[in-house]
Amino acid sequence: MREGTLFKILESGLETSVQDYPGRIGYWAWGVPPSGPMDSFSFRLGNLIVGNEEGAAGLEIQFIGPQIEFLDDTVLAICGADNGPRLNGELIPLWTAVRVETGDVLSFEFAKVGSRSYIAIAGGIDVPPVMGSRATFAKAQIGGYQGRPLKKGDILRTFKPRVPLDKLSGRKLSPDFIPQFSHRWEVEIMLGPHEDWLTPADIEQFLSTQWRVSSKSNRIGYRLEGPEFQFSDKAHRKPPENGSHPSNIMDYGYPIGSVSLCGQTPIILLLDGPSLGGYITPLTVISGSLWKVGQSRPGDLLQFKQVSLEQAIKIQEDLARKIFNSLIQEAPGA
Amino acid sequence: MIFDEPRYLLAGDRYLLIEFGNELNLDMNFKALGLAREIEQNKVKGLLETVPSFATLLLHYEPELIKPEALISLCRELLDQLGSVEDMEIPSRLIELPVAYDDRWSRECIEAYCRTIKKIEHNPDLVARINGLKSVTELIRYHSAPQWWVGAVGFLAGLPTLMSLDPRYFLTAPKYDPPRLWTPVGTVGLGGAFTAIYPMVTPDGYQILGRTPVPIYDPQQRLEPFKDSFFLLRTGDRVKFLPISEAEFMEIEREVEARAYRYNIIDYEIFSVRRYKEFYRQAKREVVETPVPQMGRAEMIEAGEEVRARQQVIEMKKKLKAKAIEAEDRSKKSRDIGHQLGG
Repeated sequence: MREGTLFKILESGLETSVQDYPGRIGYWAWGVPPSGPMDSFSFRLGNLIVGNEEGAAGLEIQFIGPQIEFLDDTVLAICGADNGPRLNGELIPLWTAVRVETGDVLSFEFAKVGSRSYIAIAGGIDVPPVMGSRATFAKAQIGGYQGRPLKKGDILRTFKPRVPLDKLSGRKLSPDFIPQFSHRWEVEIMLGPHEDWLTPADIEQFLSTQWRVSSKSNRIGYRLEGPEFQFSDKAHRKPPENGSHPSNIMDYGYPIGSVSLCGQTPIILLLDGPSLGGYITPLTVISGSLWKVGQSRPGDLLQFKQVSLEQAIKIQEDLARKIFNSLIQEAPGA
Repeated sequence: MIFDEPRYLLAGDRYLLIEFGNELNLDMNFKALGLAREIEQNKVKGLLETVPSFATLLLHYEPELIKPEALISLCRELLDQLGSVEDMEIPSRLIELPVAYDDRWSRECIEAYCRTIKKIEHNPDLVARINGLKSVTELIRYHSAPQWWVGAVGFLAGLPTLMSLDPRYFLTAPKYDPPRLWTPVGTVGLGGAFTAIYPMVTPDGYQILGRTPVPIYDPQQRLEPFKDSFFLLRTGDRVKFLPISEAEFMEIEREVEARAYRYNIIDYEIFSVRRYKEFYRQAKREVVETPVPQMGRAEMIEAGEEVRARQQVIEMKKKLKAKAIEAEDRSKKSRDIGHQLGG
């Protein structure tokens, strides 16, 4: 007897992929990135609403959503950017457990604010883990469903739900805890590792600028548009094997979230990015704020705010606390 | 220079970057590797992974479980225990990889670039010319003579960056500008002084020298060396290239397909840094004692212009060095992650 839920992709959307959290950890030394949800905050909330472990595999949607037919009864939650989710044509709320009957079709409009939405389904998606994770890394054709984003006609299944479907009804996020999305984002960042390759004025300027997210931004990295850098003496005077441009350095392991300078262009290195490279990274977005970068879209403005390590750890802890305190369950029929 | 004390740099709340110096010197690569192994053997709670590279070691950790100060003092302790680089003995596998040099698939890729992007010199010809070698045959001998050291793995899944361990066989090459849009799986390329082997089809800019039929990345773990790992090569391995013909390439390809290919991996050897350095000094002396532009020098001595001949030699060496540096610069440019973002 089948215990999970089957669902069929009727339309793929722009880029719909299976992701899990925290993704593929432990293979950075071989060049395999973590992958996983770009907005892990919304992703984890979705899983809790449908009774899954916070890291269970779900779907990430970018801008244009898929159309999905459910071949069994289940419960799902849509989280992240509001892209007008509909079940059989009727609008359904975000951040809420939604009961789905066999034959129901889920579809979406477009997100106006934010760039990524998540579908959490009771039980979590059952695809074979690769290197310890179900997250899709399309570039190396591993993880997710056959190592690629979903296509029309794909049929996926979930595991057996941890919580009986009946007990999930009425579960949703307390309105006070719903993440707020906008076209302007304040993103917490720490100095380092290569802050001394910039002048104090460069850093000052970086922190006071509203950086525009370029259209050449994706899961590998986010390109930013803004003013130019002067670079410090250290960047201008260095052994030749570091390269000639002030932003060049000998290849080293990249920290995820670090802001690399490719010449004059800052690129925030993200979850599908390269593990090694030869560009300096003077600042690093803290782990608790990466979800905001993941939700920003081309044209949005990012304003960086410098924090200390202690503050960064606190922001991450607060996020975890929020996730565990945010759930409410309304009495049936309320 | 190599720093007296490594620099410990915080990178956000989850990473620590340890810099051993700012020049290309295998000593630092040995140190990074040694420290990575020690720290992993210590099974430190909260340490998720390490990424050794040429002059750095990146640590990925959970600040909730271990504070960076504690991690730093542990690294200092372990480095003290490691002692001097000369005393290091590194378990290092020697892996033989068959390569069809100047093969038809490489030629197709180069020709496609000439047709669609811009006309460039046939890569093996260019590399032979720049390095003062008489022919592609000599280039093949040069490239397959030394053992190559895996200094780092990454950028792409399973992609090794290799350095020649033998100064008598030093090659250098500029990189494509702009980079190519695709490189066949198994391509062996040269950029700056580094050799790379491509685990999958990818854009890049190294000069194409040949192609290996042997997979270095096997996510399905079909082949024997991939039983415990998805990647053939790890930092600290050594690679020796074995020149083969196109017919042998296709024969090996068939064996790989049938899972009958036997990899030639020697995994009992220990790399002694002290003995390697003795070898290096000796080999380097041979290079220095053989002046680069031999012909010109001899002619000038005949003409009684000993002083000018010496200057000429110095000039030539400077030029060669500048060329190597220039090649290195270009290699920076085209390994641009911006390229992966689509522009």
